[in-house]
Amino acid sequence: MQKNNITPDDKKVISIKGLYKNFGKLEVLKGVSLDIKKGEKVVVIGPSGSGKSTMLRCLNLLEEPTYGEVWFHDNLLTPVDPYLHFDIIELSNTFAEIKEKYAQDKSLTEEQVRDAAIKEIKQNDLLKKREGKLYKKAIKDFYTKHVLNVNKARARIGMVFQHFNLFNNLTVLENLTLAPVNLKLKTKEQAQEKAFELLKRIGLEDKASVYPSTLSGGQKQRIAIVRALAMEPEVMLFDEPTSALDPEMVGEVLELMKDLANEGMTMVVVTHEMGFAREVASRILFMNEGKIQEENDPKNFFDNPKNERLKEFLSKVL
Amino acid sequence: MWNTFVEKFIEQEGYKLTLTGLTNTALIAVFGLLIGFLLGSIIAVVKLVPAKNVLFNILKKLCDGYVAIFRGTPIVVQLLLLHFAVFPALGLLLEDVVEASLIFGLNSAAYISEIMRGGINSVDKGQMEAGRSLGFGYTTTMIKIIIPQAFKNILPTLGNEFISLIKETSVLSLIAVTDLTKSFKAIAESTYEYFIPYIMLAVTYFVIVYIISLLVKFMERRLNTDAKK
Repeated sequence: MQKNNITPDDKKVISIKGLYKNFGKLEVLKGVSLDIKKGEKVVVIGPSGSGKSTMLRCLNLLEEPTYGEVWFHDNLLTPVDPYLHFDIIELSNTFAEIKEKYAQDKSLTEEQVRDAAIKEIKQNDLLKKREGKLYKKAIKDFYTKHVLNVNKARARIGMVFQHFNLFNNLTVLENLTLAPVNLKLKTKEQAQEKAFELLKRIGLEDKASVYPSTLSGGQKQRIAIVRALAMEPEVMLFDEPTSALDPEMVGEVLELMKDLANEGMTMVVVTHEMGFAREVASRILFMNEGKIQEENDPKNFFDNPKNERLKEFLSKVL
Repeated sequence: MWNTFVEKFIEQEGYKLTLTGLTNTALIAVFGLLIGFLLGSIIAVVKLVPAKNVLFNILKKLCDGYVAIFRGTPIVVQLLLLHFAVFPALGLLLEDVVEASLIFGLNSAAYISEIMRGGINSVDKGQMEAGRSLGFGYTTTMIKIIIPQAFKNILPTLGNEFISLIKETSVLSLIAVTDLTKSFKAIAESTYEYFIPYIMLAVTYFVIVYIISLLVKFMERRLNTDAKK
């Protein structure tokens, strides 16, 4: 175990720490940690059911993790996990007491004693049970330093879904302007100007006043992307953006995503498009069974995979 | 036969009673629907919002119980029970039409809450996710995105509910409220001539219901041109 730093790091946009997610009895994420730095293009691949979409959806809290933390810059979005912050634990009397117990075993090093003590405290949730006051105070202090409303964070994190999820009751233009205007980021005029600029960029300005149901899948997804861009996000999350598209339409969506990448947008992309991953990614993660099992730059990732499951996966998809 | 009816209806001013009956039926149905809609919305919202604390959970259970009871018993039984037992016990003395509107409102609230819950659940889950991912809260997403789509989905069912409400008001004669049925019944009984009055009664209900179903269809078409699915 390592001590976590909570000193702000300008380069980190989103970080997740020790993330676990259970759906009922099913463990989907089993301890995922990841830092996404400004300007990075992180591509996540893996077999279905490996937890990659769940991990992505945890980044903006659409899925609430069972344990672990999600950070947006130096703001904590999840409830604080005191066990991730040793300064809280180490202050406590419980820690001293339990450490004492393990210290009697002379074969253990100091490091091992500490880890064992922390493990026991964590397993039995002793901090909460026995150090109620300290626990509450620590959490309160923590929050005053690192508080940010989840909705505010989400407004700065763009998200693109597999099934587009354009608002069916609104026109294309209204889809693009609803959030910036209602969240008071822009006036109606500014938002419309920006919306037309974005629609022009994807060559769909003539569709401004139609309803999403009249569009093709590729058009819908490109509009979904610019809807997210209309909020001028710092980072964009893509959840299998081309998986629900006709093969013909995959290209136009990937082109737009490549453009974004070239402009320096920070991106996290869950996809099965290996060509895109190789071309655009600055880092590729392989997820399997709820864990990140391999992480490398595209060249080494594809040409020199180490993990057995990844080798098997690549042999099937390439 | 026909002459007896005309004489009673026009010359002896039987139409006056019928008009009162018609007005009462319309008032009770409209206010019943209104009360049902308001109360039903509240119940639907309570049932849909994720539970936050124990108190809210109790409220949810109460709503479940309410819906179960009002859907699980016939309207006639509710009418008798509320009019002859519950309201007097509570010392509640209401005017006929007000009381009838209230009872029908309480009854249709149970049905409407389920219609609304179904309508909201029928909206794709992705719509809520998209709204939340842009930074909207739960309530704003509901109001701006989910409810407009849900309303379009439930409009036909809501129209049906209104129609059955109108027809169900015909049991009101049981608690001596002058509604459409009672007014024609009075004509029939005073002349011992049943055929024409009851045919006319049926025709009147049919015409009202037909007009309303046309209105609902018209509204549906309007909403559909707004947002084709």
